[in-house]
Amino acid sequence: MSARLETLKTTLQARLGSRLIGMDEILREVRLEVSAANYLEVMQALRDTPELAFAGLMDLCGVDYATYGGEKGENRPARRFAVVTHLLSIQHNWRVRVRVFAEDDGAPRLPSLFHIWNSANWYEREAFDMFGIFFDGHPDLRRILTDYGFVGHPFRKDFPVCGHLEMRYDPEQKRVVYQPVSIEPREITPRIRREANWGREHA
Amino acid sequence: MSIEGILEKGYITTTADTLINYVRTGSLWPVTFGLACCAMEMMHTGCARYDMDRFGIFFRPSPRQSDVMIVAGTLTNKMAAALRKVYDQMAEPRWVISMGSCANGGGYYYDSYSVVRGCDQIIPVDIYVPGCPPTPEALIYGVLQLQDKIRRTSTIARS
Repeated sequence: MSARLETLKTTLQARLGSRLIGMDEILREVRLEVSAANYLEVMQALRDTPELAFAGLMDLCGVDYATYGGEKGENRPARRFAVVTHLLSIQHNWRVRVRVFAEDDGAPRLPSLFHIWNSANWYEREAFDMFGIFFDGHPDLRRILTDYGFVGHPFRKDFPVCGHLEMRYDPEQKRVVYQPVSIEPREITPRIRREANWGREHA
Repeated sequence: MSIEGILEKGYITTTADTLINYVRTGSLWPVTFGLACCAMEMMHTGCARYDMDRFGIFFRPSPRQSDVMIVAGTLTNKMAAALRKVYDQMAEPRWVISMGSCANGGGYYYDSYSVVRGCDQIIPVDIYVPGCPPTPEALIYGVLQLQDKIRRTSTIARS
């Protein structure tokens, strides 16, 4: 198992070494770190290099690091928004995870992967909807999950979980109407502090 | 239900209310409105093991043919307008069974930005079935409660 991972890491280093910011192994999986400028080029190479042949984009999601590390902000990255993609090579039975940070925290932008893997279409729409990350070159960057006319990006850490609007039926207008939320926002997620090697006992 | 012995003379007398309520409770046709995991339990209730057919309950694909709506699952803001539209299309008399915690009052998603805190914000509800999700037995009990409620109503109002 680890020999195959070593092969993958050696190949990645040889093929992409100069264009990577970092590469490490977590939980028996390889993670790559790429800059936004090299993002498209690296992804194209991951798919088209025969020794890698990452033919499938399994997942793409946004991450908001605004409150990462708690109050003290330990290990908080310099940039706020990142996009993480999970790739699968069916031919070699390899998986790799790629993380790229968007340059601008105010209006994060990244190139779209749609023209490399067209499965990126809805994933990027979801990341746009939930985090407000813009994907340049996406053919149809609309909201995908939230309500029609929704304002805001719910997965951002500064978005209140109860939102800003709620719905009710108005008997006079004979239709459903929006009104400001009537409940107090509350956070009932327990704060969990785990040991350093949590989940890695068998790694 | 047997009518032997009742029809000895070839006819029976009753009130119009009793007859109308007998007919209404015996053929409650729900509009299919499954929204989440509760819909699975609703399907089980309709299938062979629990078999809602024996109460005269048949799921209808159209609100215009339906008497009762079982709101089975989480009602989101995006779905709320559609729920109201389906309800408005139902012919009167019509009833609503709210099935499960989410439809009753938001439930697990009470604090969410995208979920209606109870489908009674959108439509009037007759019966609330608790549970997350309610078992088929609980839903059938809710249906029986609705039948009781219909029996208590009188169609011809006396002043």
